Amino acid sequence: VKYAAALSRRLVLLAVVLLAGGLAGASLVRFAPGFGTDERMLDARLNRQSMDALAASHSEGSNIAAYYWRYLGRLCRGDLGVSNSLSRPVSELLRERAAVTARSVGAGLALAWPAALAIALALEGIRRKWCEAAAASLAGALLCVPAAVIVIACFDVGGSPALAVAAILFPRIYRYGRSLLRQSGGAAHVLAAHAFGERRLRVLGWHIVAPAAPELLAVAGASVSMAVGAAVPVEVLSDSPGLGQLMWFAAQARDLPVIVNLTLLIAAVTAIANLAAEAPRIAREARA
Amino acid sequence: MRKAAAVILALAFAAALAADFTAPYSYAEQFRDIPDAAASRPHPLGTDALGRDRLSRLLYGARLSLLFAPAAALISVALALLLAGAAAIAAPWCERAVTAAADLCLSLPWIFLLLAARAALPLNTGVWVSALVTFGLLGMLGWAAPSRVMTAALKCFLDSDFVLMAHASGCTRVRLALVQLAPNLVPLAAAQFLIATPTYLLAEANLGLLGLGIPEPLPSWGSLLRDLESLPAAVAHPWAFVPAVLLILVVGCFHIVIPADEYHI
Repeated sequence: VKYAAALSRRLVLLAVVLLAGGLAGASLVRFAPGFGTDERMLDARLNRQSMDALAASHSEGSNIAAYYWRYLGRLCRGDLGVSNSLSRPVSELLRERAAVTARSVGAGLALAWPAALAIALALEGIRRKWCEAAAASLAGALLCVPAAVIVIACFDVGGSPALAVAAILFPRIYRYGRSLLRQSGGAAHVLAAHAFGERRLRVLGWHIVAPAAPELLAVAGASVSMAVGAAVPVEVLSDSPGLGQLMWFAAQARDLPVIVNLTLLIAAVTAIANLAAEAPRIAREARA
Repeated sequence: MRKAAAVILALAFAAALAADFTAPYSYAEQFRDIPDAAASRPHPLGTDALGRDRLSRLLYGARLSLLFAPAAALISVALALLLAGAAAIAAPWCERAVTAAADLCLSLPWIFLLLAARAALPLNTGVWVSALVTFGLLGMLGWAAPSRVMTAALKCFLDSDFVLMAHASGCTRVRLALVQLAPNLVPLAAAQFLIATPTYLLAEANLGLLGLGIPEPLPSWGSLLRDLESLPAAVAHPWAFVPAVLLILVVGCFHIVIPADEYHI
């Protein structure tokens, strides 16, 4: 019962955060100085009526509260509106492109996590200073390179979008994972287990990884958000038709319906990933 | 190692700040008869496709990035301090609201919000206004991580013996904040500033490579990296890599300068 209550509180908070996230995204665009500007208005061939029609087409979003209220009403009916720049239903655009992003993000996470964890675990097992320094230097060097440059380098060597996402995520996951495992490995009970002559693998599995698992799971939740963020430069620079590229197009075209829906969708995905990652910790706290 | 990194940073800042004196030409001056020229004595890093001196653009670009990124970091840290103070001192609902807002900011990929807001600038925005808005937005969106660290630290300080002692001695709230808490928060704020600055340098570089950074003709590290979009062409002109190498070096030095225990998960 305690677990259900804690989980439902989190779900309510999630809904509030999602609504606030959508409103924040819409407000950010609405109150940005260039809202309502249309590049077509610079076309000298258009007459006054055409200019007025263009201005009227942007007027729906001028009152942000009214716009968001109407938007939520339509959202309840499954209608996400129509893209201003692409003249297509937003739900159709999201459906088409979500699969591409999900594939590259999913594969990127599936590549980066095992690689980062394997190296972090191996280092915890062998405990050689120079190995630690070499891995830390490599991860540190990768963290100093702009994500977009990593993407360009990946594509130059014939890598896929998934590999580029993995290359961006790897140093971040490694650094967090290694730090957690080092903290866990330095605990007194680990020293005691070593002193009692427990096998290394058993110490690693039961006394180091298991206690760090909830925090590692939380990092896994956060890495979904990192991966979705990494999808933007990857898809823009590789011309891959995913959600990252759609956001880039929408941002350039000042396409409010697409921006609000995408912000809400991304907020939902990352918030749900974080909630799923925190579920074991909530259960443990409820039991305690 | 930290001393060497600090010296490199100081040299980079000095060279960038003195760009008016160290750069051989203006960043916008075009030598139209020698576009894409190789490195030579008058142009040590060659010229770009429009015939502009790469070294001059690098120095002016470094000045813009190295002045604006710390300014954005200052905005983030100031916002974080303000909100952390409110969260730690005000009613519990205020702390919950700040924590929820920080969670929202941290869970959303910032690049989505930044793309939306940056691209919504008017088409006729001036280059300097655009640069200010880009870094200003970075500063305003980056408050969440430092705010979390500072809220936790402030709560620790508020539960500590010296604050209890100050309360018992009849210390006013303002005096408590200014005399007891602020000096303890300064090292933490400085570390958060050092963590945020390279993050914003990289963020601007990423935006520049996506075409949404500082607009031409103003140079920044992000816009200079656009030469790398076509890597085979850049390999033929190796001096095009200099901005990337310098950016990586500066960001690396920032990472080395930050004390290891200041990286919080």
